[in-house]
Amino acid sequence: MSEQWFERDPLWFKRAVFYEIHIRGFFDGNDDGSGDFRGLIDKLDYLEWLGVDCLWLLPMYESPLRDGGYDISNFFGLHPDYGSVEDFREFVEQAHQRGMRVIADLVMNHTSADHPWFQESRADRDGPKGNWYVWSDTDERYPEARVIFIDSEPSNWTLDQLRGEYYWHRFFHHQPDLNYDNPEVQEAMLEVLRFWLDLGIDGFRLDAVPYLFEREGTNGENLPETHEYLKRIRAEVDSRYTDRLLLAEANQWPEDVVQYFGEGDECQMAFHFPVMPRMFMAVRREDATPIYEILDRTPAIPDNCQWGLFLRNHDELTLEMVTDEERDYMYAEYAKDPRMKLNLGIRRRLAPLLDAGRDEAELLHAILFSLPGSPVLYYGDEIGMGDNVYLGDRDGVRTPMHWSGDRNAGFSRADWAQLYLQPLMDPVYGFQAVNVEAQLRTPNSLLRWLQRFIALRKEHPVFGLGSYKPLPAENTRIFAHIRTWEEDIVLCVHNLARSAQAVQLDLSEYAGMVPVEMLGRTAFPPIGELPYLLTLAPRGFFWFQLRQAEHVE
Amino acid sequence: MTMDEQALIDYVTRQRWFGAKSRTVSHSEVLDLVTIRQAEPQLSVALVEIRFDTGAHDIYQLLFSGSVDEPFDGLAEDASIAREIVSAMRTGLTLQGSQGVAEFHPAEDFSALGRELGAARLVSSEQSNSSVVFDDALILKVFRHLEPGINPELEMLRFLTDHGFRNVPALGGWYGYSGGPMTATLGLLQEYVAAAVGGWELALGEIASAPESFLDRLGRLGEVTANMHTALGADANDAAFAPEEPSVESLGLLTATVDEEIARVFLSLPEDEERLGPILGRGEEVREQLRLLTHAGSSGRVIRTHGDYHLGQTLWQNSDWVILDFEGEPARTLVERRRKRSPLRDVAGMLRSFAYAATTAEQTRGADVPHDWEERARERFLESYLETVDATLLPPGEAAIERLLAVFELEKAVYELQYELDNRPDWVGIPVAGIERLMQQAAEAL
Repeated sequence: MSEQWFERDPLWFKRAVFYEIHIRGFFDGNDDGSGDFRGLIDKLDYLEWLGVDCLWLLPMYESPLRDGGYDISNFFGLHPDYGSVEDFREFVEQAHQRGMRVIADLVMNHTSADHPWFQESRADRDGPKGNWYVWSDTDERYPEARVIFIDSEPSNWTLDQLRGEYYWHRFFHHQPDLNYDNPEVQEAMLEVLRFWLDLGIDGFRLDAVPYLFEREGTNGENLPETHEYLKRIRAEVDSRYTDRLLLAEANQWPEDVVQYFGEGDECQMAFHFPVMPRMFMAVRREDATPIYEILDRTPAIPDNCQWGLFLRNHDELTLEMVTDEERDYMYAEYAKDPRMKLNLGIRRRLAPLLDAGRDEAELLHAILFSLPGSPVLYYGDEIGMGDNVYLGDRDGVRTPMHWSGDRNAGFSRADWAQLYLQPLMDPVYGFQAVNVEAQLRTPNSLLRWLQRFIALRKEHPVFGLGSYKPLPAENTRIFAHIRTWEEDIVLCVHNLARSAQAVQLDLSEYAGMVPVEMLGRTAFPPIGELPYLLTLAPRGFFWFQLRQAEHVE
Repeated sequence: MTMDEQALIDYVTRQRWFGAKSRTVSHSEVLDLVTIRQAEPQLSVALVEIRFDTGAHDIYQLLFSGSVDEPFDGLAEDASIAREIVSAMRTGLTLQGSQGVAEFHPAEDFSALGRELGAARLVSSEQSNSSVVFDDALILKVFRHLEPGINPELEMLRFLTDHGFRNVPALGGWYGYSGGPMTATLGLLQEYVAAAVGGWELALGEIASAPESFLDRLGRLGEVTANMHTALGADANDAAFAPEEPSVESLGLLTATVDEEIARVFLSLPEDEERLGPILGRGEEVREQLRLLTHAGSSGRVIRTHGDYHLGQTLWQNSDWVILDFEGEPARTLVERRRKRSPLRDVAGMLRSFAYAATTAEQTRGADVPHDWEERARERFLESYLETVDATLLPPGEAAIERLLAVFELEKAVYELQYELDNRPDWVGIPVAGIERLMQQAAEAL
């Protein structure tokens, strides 16, 4: 058992900043053209410096990689490109020693068609694995269940020639869904969880959890049986381990997602999908209404739970949780080239979505960091990396990390042609222009700014733990709200407009207190009974700590 | 437990070892209590959480003696609790609290552990811990601010002793806690280096009266420092100590860290402080120098280091140096203090303390310090250090070593500048001269 490098804290994730890593794309430690755990260990100093608390790893298991590793062919082994289980154990220990925790993606809904379980299941319907997947002699069942990958899959059923039956798959046809009505499958997945938890991992991001069960007459999402099984997992994890996290990926409306928190006895975290496109919408429309509205629509969650918030991730910028009209607007504004669209989403990175705007990048991070929840950053976005919309599927946002202006962007010492994907070389986002080494040495770079900003957020647990109170003003271009935790009161004011704005905020409740700007520690005039007037630069923002006058120098 | 929360806050925040004096405390709570003597007066080890108004918190170790209703630290009153701790180490006790256990361990082959403990006295000068000295033979260090993980002092002493570095006090034993709130080292017992004179005192006394002989001693200190670093970099099989090639961006990370520090300190320099004259308004220049110094080149290998190395951490005893206090800088987190770094960072710390010694001898002792003393002291120390140390730990070539050393000295001097402005404005001249000298030196080297 490794040393314990953390204070016991079952709610650590509520104050954490997460950082999502595509192992293949991060750093190549053995010069074979593909990132791996040895490489990741080399970059832990960088991540520690950046100040992130928890690393979230995209799937690392054995896989034929027809879906970026979300098609697992062995839950107990790593993809050989990434290294050995021993490398993984070493990585977790090294991360822990630097004060960072590690969670990993786990796909419970389905396996790769190459998984021996599926191969056995299709070869022998009466054998021990015959009932481990969802089989049917017709493709007519569960017609209410929508097709998710509408660009590539015509149906959720595919005929298996060998077994002569259809199998059920909510995603690609090479990813058959496991049959969770079979108690053996439930047991097998618990064994998978225990295997990795015993290696020291701090939790899982549970991929595609809404779809574990199927029932006739339903859309097959968020079924009671699914919640029951997730509660069983949580109970099992809590009884054997301490301070471990289950983070649900359920791309659903907030009122459905909150079910994944249970009574605080299911998943501790779930992503808040709908707020994400609305942040982009608000910036483009210069109007705070979409953000206020979605937060108003977000139900309260148990005290021991937390939202996961993000701007971008390894998937397309998903537009499932918006109205058709909003989706058309988003496509028109953010996906001018049809190549940028994928399924119901936009496959672009943060910087290109913002037309490389630095003010916009800072503003969106400020909004993200100020909302109730834990922010999740996506690798490369901290330096403003670009994407390549000419690559297939979501590969365009999964290209190698730009470490320096050296050969292969400092990502690998393999031959250029050997790289799993080539780093970007265009004049705006290419690795000569955008890389970690250069930005480390440039005091005003996005990277240096974000590092300071993460440190600021971590000084104030209020951002992770505090209550949220909107402060809508007459000027709808301003998104303002108050966060409160114990004696810490923080006022966040963001200008969504391209132009300078003035706003009057009703702060009479805090009359007598002094707003102290948090980045420069400048005291502003005390709050009185009259509306408080602020002027903000284009796309500017202020975070204030409201302090009692006698505590301000 | 009926302890009054406000009384506990008042008590803890008054203590010298309370490290967050500038922050507002809102709550306190005893997280766990381990009784080490049941008989009256009862003695116990307590983990106390101190919550700040921002919601963040620190955990401190308190030693209660007598009724736990009244919070006071037994160590300050009498030494009986310290004796109980040492005797628990001797017998290797494990004691149960409500949330976890306290484990006491004797060090192997430590002959002095069996002796009867006689006279005891509390050492009150420490900032982050409390110490009790027994018979001028043993010293018990009680860590106050607790952080999860192994304390570097314990780790370093065990490692250095195992790897044949003799210029440290022998380790006698230690105790730690593991359970609900955290796993942490609580304290350790060491040989007390008696009949020794502190390196800092020695410097102040001899700089003017016997400058040449003190320079000889510094030559020896260079050797001892080099041996320490060589030992620290000698074991590739122990992951916590194995020397590592720094990552490609390590120089960039160092530059960014030091640069932020410079920017922060220069942003808040008072404009009415005359002694700041030579550097006032030159923050951008200093940052530019830093960028030039770190423009290229290797940063050598990184190893575990002393972490807070200066003359005050040395003793002169029986014609040789003893190195003390491997805890690292008290203001930094345990994670930071355990981080592997270039050994030149320790060297820079020592060089900066020569500047302090020269000025202090002049100002407080009225000593007539030879004008080139600091320069000669630096040369002497560095020369013997570089001759002795395992050269594979350092960047290749004299120029690269000088540059990296200058970066660390700059980091140190900027830290001193903030410290002196906050605590001892009369001393501001020392870091100011240091920063000025580094800027000049950098300009000449380019």
